[in-house]
Amino acid sequence: MSTAQFDELIHPSTRLSIVALMASTDWVDFSFVRDRLCLSDSALSKEFSVLEEAGYVTIDRPVTNRRRRVRVSLTDQGRAAFEGHVAALQSVIASSESAAAR
Amino acid sequence: MSHETTATEARHALSSIDHRRQQVIAEIDVPRWYWVSVATGWVALGVLAQYGATWAFVAGTLAFGTVHSAVAAWVLSGRHASTSLSIRSELVGRRVPVFVFGFLVGMTIVTVALALIAHADGARNPGILASVVVAAFVLAGGPRLMASVRGHAERSRSAW
Repeated sequence: MSTAQFDELIHPSTRLSIVALMASTDWVDFSFVRDRLCLSDSALSKEFSVLEEAGYVTIDRPVTNRRRRVRVSLTDQGRAAFEGHVAALQSVIASSESAAAR
Repeated sequence: MSHETTATEARHALSSIDHRRQQVIAEIDVPRWYWVSVATGWVALGVLAQYGATWAFVAGTLAFGTVHSAVAAWVLSGRHASTSLSIRSELVGRRVPVFVFGFLVGMTIVTVALALIAHADGARNPGILASVVVAAFVLAGGPRLMASVRGHAERSRSAW
């Protein structure tokens, strides 16, 4: 169980969606994230830059079948931040439910 | 915590996270070529059982098993059907190999049973008949089996 730690960097909805998608993968192609989230290349690049700068993701550019691809992975730090954020969200709900029960 | 997130917002965020997780679960699969190869091998073994010498059937079965074992670890992880991502092993678990091996064992039993029934009924090529029927089951049932694996993964929402 992760320590609940609200993460302001992850919380904005687009970034949360990106990190949530990546949390279930070892690595993911840039295009997969772009298509699932219906974002433009530039908008997604911008979000990845923020996450990379924070040390939450690493970006590799391997060449497969003569095509350059962009593969993104969540770092251990990014995964821990995401799990802490999920725990924080759950604790918000738990607190609200226990307050309502009183 | 330095935030002012309400319970409603938190629920919405968790729901969004769950939706993204399901988008990755939707990618759990084995490649189509795997089912085609298994079905083709099944029919080939049926032909060998019907017309081949015993040694040829044994050799064919061993070759089929060897090739299957060689690709099984990669293919039956269920994590690499798409070239766009690698699904985390925790999300897939051991479901795919367990389901697929169970399915193939079941199909082996069905093949033998069908061949015996066809033979008792006086069919000319009971081995081939049984293997062709089961190969069709494999082609049709394999993708449905994987849909069931994905459903299983969606239901076991371990994280939240």
